[in-house]
Amino acid sequence: MGKKPKRDKSPQIEKNRHKFPELLLKKLEEAGLCTENLIFCCTGDMDNDACYRSAWLSFDEKGLYIAYGTEELMKIKGKKHIEPKYTVEEIVAIPIEDIDKLETERYVSTGRLISVKDGVQTSLVKFSIGRIGQFDNLMKAFNSFKEKGEAEIPTSAEPEDKKCKKCGKPCPPGKDFCKKCGKNSAVAVRLFKFFGGYIPQIIAIIATMLLGSAVSVFIPQVSTRALFDDVLANPDGLPAAELLKALGVLVLSIFGVKLLNTLLTVIQQHLSGGIMPMVIYDIRVKIFKAMQRLSVGFYSSKQTGSLMERVISDSNNIYWFFVDGVPSVIIDTATIIGVLILMFVMSWKLSLIVIVAMPIIIVTLVFGDRFFRGMHHRNWLFGARVSAMVSDNINGQRVIKAFAKEDDEFDRFSKASEDLMNSEIKLTVSEATLFPILEVVILMLTTVVLGFGGVLVAKGEMTAGTLLTYIVYLEMLRGPFSFLSWVSNWWSRCADSAQRVFEICDAEPDIVEKENAVGFENLRGDIEINELEFEYEPARPVIRKLSLEVKAGDMLGIVGKTGAGKTTIANLIARLYDAKEGNVKIDGIDVRDLKLTELRRNIGLVSQDIYLFIGTIADNIRYAKPDATMNEIIAAAKAASAHDFIMKLPDAYETRVGAGGQKLSGGERQRISIARTIIQNPKILILDEATAAMDTETERNIQNSLTKLKAGRTTLAIAHRLSTLRDSDYLAVIDNGRIVEYGTYSELLKQKGEFYKQYKIQSEALKTIGIGTSEAETEEE
Amino acid sequence: MSNNTISPETLRTEYVIPEKCVFSLNPSGFLAADIDGKEYKRVILTRSLPLSLPDEYICISDIEKNEVGIIEKISAFSPEQQELINSELSQRYYCPVIEKIESIKEKMGHFYFDVVIGGVKKAFAVKDITKSIRQHGDAIDVTDIDGNRYRITDFASIEAKSRRKLEPYLY
Ligand SMILES: Nc1ncnc2c1ncn2[C@@H]1O[C@H](COP(=O)(O)OP(=O)(O)OP(=O)(O)O)[C@@H](O)[C@H]1O
Ligand SMILES: [Mg+2]
Repeated sequence: MGKKPKRDKSPQIEKNRHKFPELLLKKLEEAGLCTENLIFCCTGDMDNDACYRSAWLSFDEKGLYIAYGTEELMKIKGKKHIEPKYTVEEIVAIPIEDIDKLETERYVSTGRLISVKDGVQTSLVKFSIGRIGQFDNLMKAFNSFKEKGEAEIPTSAEPEDKKCKKCGKPCPPGKDFCKKCGKNSAVAVRLFKFFGGYIPQIIAIIATMLLGSAVSVFIPQVSTRALFDDVLANPDGLPAAELLKALGVLVLSIFGVKLLNTLLTVIQQHLSGGIMPMVIYDIRVKIFKAMQRLSVGFYSSKQTGSLMERVISDSNNIYWFFVDGVPSVIIDTATIIGVLILMFVMSWKLSLIVIVAMPIIIVTLVFGDRFFRGMHHRNWLFGARVSAMVSDNINGQRVIKAFAKEDDEFDRFSKASEDLMNSEIKLTVSEATLFPILEVVILMLTTVVLGFGGVLVAKGEMTAGTLLTYIVYLEMLRGPFSFLSWVSNWWSRCADSAQRVFEICDAEPDIVEKENAVGFENLRGDIEINELEFEYEPARPVIRKLSLEVKAGDMLGIVGKTGAGKTTIANLIARLYDAKEGNVKIDGIDVRDLKLTELRRNIGLVSQDIYLFIGTIADNIRYAKPDATMNEIIAAAKAASAHDFIMKLPDAYETRVGAGGQKLSGGERQRISIARTIIQNPKILILDEATAAMDTETERNIQNSLTKLKAGRTTLAIAHRLSTLRDSDYLAVIDNGRIVEYGTYSELLKQKGEFYKQYKIQSEALKTIGIGTSEAETEEE
Repeated sequence: MSNNTISPETLRTEYVIPEKCVFSLNPSGFLAADIDGKEYKRVILTRSLPLSLPDEYICISDIEKNEVGIIEKISAFSPEQQELINSELSQRYYCPVIEKIESIKEKMGHFYFDVVIGGVKKAFAVKDITKSIRQHGDAIDVTDIDGNRYRITDFASIEAKSRRKLEPYLY
């Protein structure tokens, strides 16, 4: 213990990540804590009775300190960021001699830090379960310090709370800003960015739209005002023939103007029809690409139903809004502005009335927008649930049928559909209530204008034609206004979709390739696992300090109870997940330093759950190597004992499989998947229960061909059936994330441990059904 | 006609008998037990149905998480024993209770909650709100991005203003 604690030596720790912020350290100093030599710090949020309170835990060579107090986030004048203000109320110091070690316990919503002295446990502090990772790190650092006199600081340590530096709201793990502040560009701005590459076309489209609205605003001037005042009222007292001629000219020009208007609409639609599909294509491709980039962790945490909804329906929502909505918004807004200006020019007195009515309309619009946003969201949720249920039902059809649960499933579905229906009815009814209100307001307005305008005409302040035109303009406002009132819903639906789309685009993959990642020069295939630790969820370790070594060309068999962590090891080697502590090295290079494509190209993973893509069997086999020749495909299929059954299918290698294709048995699919991996010709082969669904004879055949292929290949075989692993050079028995037994097949049998027990059970079972395990028996001796 | 009930012989769970299962507190204040004459210095209690039947089917396990027995009903125990059991369970299943929802704001797919818990303001963020809210009986559980849970014990009885804020996200 006497050694001086080592601090900050580890290169992985950047910027004293495991230290409190300066401001807090100052406060702690003021409260009487010597912060000079603190080794590790961690922030809690509760006291020992689970009441919310800021708690700062730290330790040095003398003791463990728990400081309680408050943390307030203050907006500092003149600064963009907010700063926390700390007050320290109380410090509990526990001498280091009074603690043998620390423990954490995981409860449902809380966790607890416990100190142990001579086997007696004392509860120190509780915390929200989300902090268990931090407290685990504290525990590890403390315990290693107690044991070795030197604290092992976990690489992931981060003592501070994740709060947005700008607004103080909680932020997603690993980020400095909350979603709101981090992405200051609003949804709309981001959406419009997709149009960045089409600026000339956009300008042309908008220009035609504006021209179109100008023309349509101009039409009543000719068709109504000129018609009435200049021709029909005959102010200059023209003779009938002249009047008729003027009328003819006017009618023709009305026709011409309307024709021009239609022409402009056609041009605009042609132009936008040319770019919109491209923009939506960009968006779809972007989502898809973002999805490919994400790690498996993302997919296992989301319902695929809602993911599919996102890609397809969300991009459609965006598409239709931009194709139908946005042009109308531009045209209608321009129309409203143009009409209002003309109305003012024609009669400011009448326009005053309109101005008075305007706020009522606007208030109704704003209220409607707020009101409908929540409702639309709810509606979407119900919709998503219905589609998730459909996909659940389709995927589970076999189980449903086996238990004769069709009726119950139907009831469940109709209940969900009913909810959706009710929510849709509510939405439609509410919308149907709001629109008539607007209509009534406009109707009242028209009546008042007509009455008042009539008075003006009688007084001679206005011509009849002008009044009529004015009314026509008022009517022209009605359409755009009601459209604009509901376009906000439309927009909110589109924004909802866009938000979900951006959520995928913004999601950070957990697995990222390092900038200076390296490739293999000449891969041998040595695998080395050092003190590997892994957990899918904080403080639920799945792999605990596991070390293993497989020499290039060797075969390691892994056995263990279900849930022991075998598949997890395979996932970590292929870097589908990243280790928490420790590392996996291939040829001495940490997998995290390797180029991902290169790593995965060299690792063939035949996984427990097999997925066949939509396509032919041949396509599926050559998935890893699209340019494989038919010769190679057949050879691979033969090696995987798949050739015979494939040839029995009517379309042989051209049989369509995957969703909607030919159904294959579990063992048949496994064999295709093995063929797929054989063609990939990886240096490292991981077989995760690859032959579990096959009869022993087929398994043996595959093994024989794999043995031929084994030369120069490192193989990791995971299996429950011990006979599968007979060719292994070494065997590891995994239990609860640890290696409990290790050795060759016969060594393990001699050890008479867990492996022997399993072996006994399995061979006994074979004996009772009359199959001698002669070879195994010889080995046992 | 097929009879759908399982005969008691084929599938039966052994429950601890209250007389043969005595709980006590060990010197450091944690729950200890004596089951069928076997002593456990520390036991952990886990509810099988934490949401719907919190007082029945309680698993007893030792510190290594090996199950050592199941309590069928807490009510079968003596009042003193019940108190010990319940205090252990309430420690384990403690969940901060939301008293008031001040606001829920959505930004970029995240929902920012401002709530009051134990008279103290608390802010947390929720992702994927559909999956993070779970209704059971009168209660609602909300899980935030860090995996912390918060509970509204009786949704119908919190003030209407708070209720309206959360309602759009329930179904
Ligand atoms: N995506 C995941 N998220 C959370 N926990 C997981 C996940 N995948 C596996 N686990 C848990 O991790 C543990 C180890 O799982 P793993 O799949 O490695 O077991 P296994 O040894 O391969 O078992 P089996 O023999 O049944 O295939 C299990 O307790 C499992 O519940
Ligand atoms: Mg597995």
